[in-house]
Amino acid sequence: MLSIKNLHASIEGKEILKGLNLNVKPGEVHAIMGPNGAGKSTLGYVLSGREEYEATSGKVEFEQRDLLELEVDERARAGLFLAFQYPVEIPGVSNMEFLKESVSAARKERGQEQLTAAEFLKAARAACEQVNLPVEFLRRGVNEGFSGGEKKRNEIMQMIMLEPTLCILDESDSGLDIDALKVVADGVNSQRDGKRSFIVITHYQRLLDFIQPDFVHILADGKIAKSGGPELAKEVEASGYAWLENHEEANA
Amino acid sequence: MSQWLANVIDRASSVNDWLSPVRQEALTRLKSTSWPTRRTEEWRYTSLHALANLTLNEATNSKALAEAPVVSNLNSIDIVFVDGVPATDLTALNLPAGLTIHSLANASEAIQQQASKVFNQVKPDAHLFGLVNDALALQGVFINVAAGVQLEQPIRVVNLVSAGIESHNRVLVNLGANAQATIIEHGAGQGNSMNTAFAEYVIGTEAKLEHYRFALHGEEAIHIGGCHFKMGESSRLNSTIVGYGSQISRIDTDVVHAAEHALAKMNCIYLLGPKEHFDLHSLIEHVVPNGTTEQNARGIVGDKARAVFSGRILIHRDAQKTLAELHNRNLLMSRGAQISTTPALEIYADDVQCAHGATIAEIAEEDLYYLQARGISRKQALIMLNFGFIQELVSQMPNKALAAWLEPLLRERFATMESE
Repeated sequence: MLSIKNLHASIEGKEILKGLNLNVKPGEVHAIMGPNGAGKSTLGYVLSGREEYEATSGKVEFEQRDLLELEVDERARAGLFLAFQYPVEIPGVSNMEFLKESVSAARKERGQEQLTAAEFLKAARAACEQVNLPVEFLRRGVNEGFSGGEKKRNEIMQMIMLEPTLCILDESDSGLDIDALKVVADGVNSQRDGKRSFIVITHYQRLLDFIQPDFVHILADGKIAKSGGPELAKEVEASGYAWLENHEEANA
Repeated sequence: MSQWLANVIDRASSVNDWLSPVRQEALTRLKSTSWPTRRTEEWRYTSLHALANLTLNEATNSKALAEAPVVSNLNSIDIVFVDGVPATDLTALNLPAGLTIHSLANASEAIQQQASKVFNQVKPDAHLFGLVNDALALQGVFINVAAGVQLEQPIRVVNLVSAGIESHNRVLVNLGANAQATIIEHGAGQGNSMNTAFAEYVIGTEAKLEHYRFALHGEEAIHIGGCHFKMGESSRLNSTIVGYGSQISRIDTDVVHAAEHALAKMNCIYLLGPKEHFDLHSLIEHVVPNGTTEQNARGIVGDKARAVFSGRILIHRDAQKTLAELHNRNLLMSRGAQISTTPALEIYADDVQCAHGATIAEIAEEDLYYLQARGISRKQALIMLNFGFIQELVSQMPNKALAAWLEPLLRERFATMESE
């Protein structure tokens, strides 16, 4: 469903991704770990199409389409969802209006019938409950006055509502206490249906105790330095990322 | 002097009622006032050319008893004026205890006495059209909320205007100590009307006033008015003014912090279409220490419309520990749209915290990206964010029924601006 080949990307002329390769098949969960500055968040932004992040070479195919040719909103409608590390606050647009517009755009794209107002409200309420957000939040501005944890849970809530085919979670665990972490993980796990794929970007192994990955990749200096199974995450937990330097030296 | 003002003076000279002494004072001032031009500071950006030679009739009786605009779930006590003529039988209103509403036109001596404590006690006499209103407003209401009375039902004074008619009316409100009330001044109507509407509020010690003023007139109307507040000790004011533009639409809102520890929150929203003009002038005076003012005016100006904002916060020498903020933000939707904004802080005390600013807003790329990343097209995201800019103030309106009524009206208006 997603195939990234030799992807190079830069921001303001500085190259961050330096030839990244990754293949994700339907239903798979890939964890991407790595030290700060390795390019983890950049990968999420480049895939979602954020303007300042420029893919300079390489190829990304998503569901048989050339992803890099699509606009941000087209990528989202094609089924790609990025859960942001730092979601913005938009006080003048209510969560409800925002969700309605986005769900409606997604359904239209998939050729599904639009939800009635009652159906939509029911689904939105259920999604709120699932991630432990008070239903009143729907009436507030997008992320307006939300705590860090509430913003993260709101991202997962949107993911549940939009039913994407590929979910990229950008450090959805950062700043969360263990209870909030479980809520986020449960939300994600509830969406694992054997077809939907996930890329879980995280600095720590902690989240992967709750979201069991099929593959773990270590991203270092803009490339995948090492890939393996869940045991690789444990290794990182035990020894940190210091070994990467030796690894690179060995490669050099 | 303009022909119009000469006519006003002429007509006012023959008025004879209990307010005549006050009217005479106003007339004396009017006679020595020169007609504002572009060189008059207060009218620098708002031309009165369209009014100068206007002759319209005054209504003698309310011919068409137009219905007040319906606001679902508002459940308000409505007092309706049509072209300045009362359309509500005030004596037939079923009012809660502690609330009295009287007509100014046939006030008893006791009511005259009470009303005199408000009439011209709050409104600065510097407003030319305030003086016109002093001289010519034969109709109006005096609303008194007794001390300690907390009204649940909002009171709405509806002021409907129609084509070819000139009208003047006045609202006087006395809010006793510890009293609580919601008062809505609701102006609307189509056609080339001319209306002045001024309201004065005396807010007692620890009293709370929730105030709305809607100037939702058609594009041909001329509407000039004001709302003026005198804050008692530890009183609270939450005011929202909403304006569409008109041929001339001008509102002056003034607040005097006359006693300590009062808090005034003033929001203003304007949304201007084709060639509309809206002018908001505001003067907030801190005379005593420990007062707080928060003012936020936001507008969207489209096509060839023009918005004028002049906001002044004046902090007197004794008004130490004043907290005051004044912000005006504008979104221009077209190359032909204009905004003239002058926020000003005038501070004579040395221990205050103040901030002010005026900006022409731009949509944050980050916000756009976020909406697009959820599948919303750039075009639609821009509409949502642009509207969100004023919707933020709508959602701050404490009365949810009013907010629910207003939002779709503004959205619809905004949608037509978008497509132009």
